[in-house]
Amino acid sequence: MLVITRKPGERITIGDDITVTVIEVKGSLVKLGFEAPRNVGIHRQEIYDRIREENVKASGIDASDLAGAAFFLNGKKKAVKSED
Amino acid sequence: MKIKTTRFGTINISKDKIIYMPFGMLGFSDKKRFVLFPHKENSPFFWYQSADDPALAFVIISPFLFAPAYSIDADETAKKMSWNDAVESDYEVYVIAGIPRGEPDKITANMIGPLLINVRKREAVQMVIPNSPYSHKFPLSANK
Repeated sequence: MLVITRKPGERITIGDDITVTVIEVKGSLVKLGFEAPRNVGIHRQEIYDRIREENVKASGIDASDLAGAAFFLNGKKKAVKSED
Repeated sequence: MKIKTTRFGTINISKDKIIYMPFGMLGFSDKKRFVLFPHKENSPFFWYQSADDPALAFVIISPFLFAPAYSIDADETAKKMSWNDAVESDYEVYVIAGIPRGEPDKITANMIGPLLINVRKREAVQMVIPNSPYSHKFPLSANK
C-alpha cells in the first residue's frame, strides 16, 4: 500500500481524473472530498461490503423457499386484517 | 428473445423488456441485462432474472408494501446514470429479499441497497444508502 502524508487543504490525484482532497482533520475523524467521473462509484466500504454480501446470499434463493416465505407474509397480512 | 434460466427453464421475452444495468449489481458487475417478472399471481414478489447468467436471479419486492415511510433520494443516482430528464413517475423502487436456505420464515429485505429502475429508459442501478434508518436485514415475516 502506498502511504502519503497530507495536510488539510492538500490534494492527491489518482490517474488523470480522480482527485482526493483532505478537507479537515478533527481528532480521529478525517473529512475527505472526492472528485471523480460520474461512473466511478465512491462508497463507504463497510456499507458497500454489506450490500455485496447480501447480494451474493440473495442470488442463490430457491424458488421453493420463496413459496414458503410468501405463505408467511400472507399470514401476516391476514392477521393485520382480522384485527381491524 | 430466449433466455435460459436454471429455475424457470427457457423463457421467451421481447427484447424491449430487457432492463440494462451499466454497473450491474454489487458483486456481479459483469452481468448487465435483467428481466423482471412476477413470482406468481397476487404475490408481492418479483423475480429479477439475469439474461446473461441462467443461475443468477434475485427476489425483489416493493419496500412501500411493508415500510410505507421508506424513501430514497434519486437525484445523485440520476446524475450518475445520466438520466437527465427523469421524473418521479419514471421510477420503480424495489428491495432485494434474502432467504436463508430452507428457512423461509427468516426472510429479510436489504433496505440499504435498493434497486432503482427507470422504467421509461429500461435501465436500472443498485443504490448504496449510507446512514439509513433501515437495516440490510429488515425482517419481513411475522414468524420470526
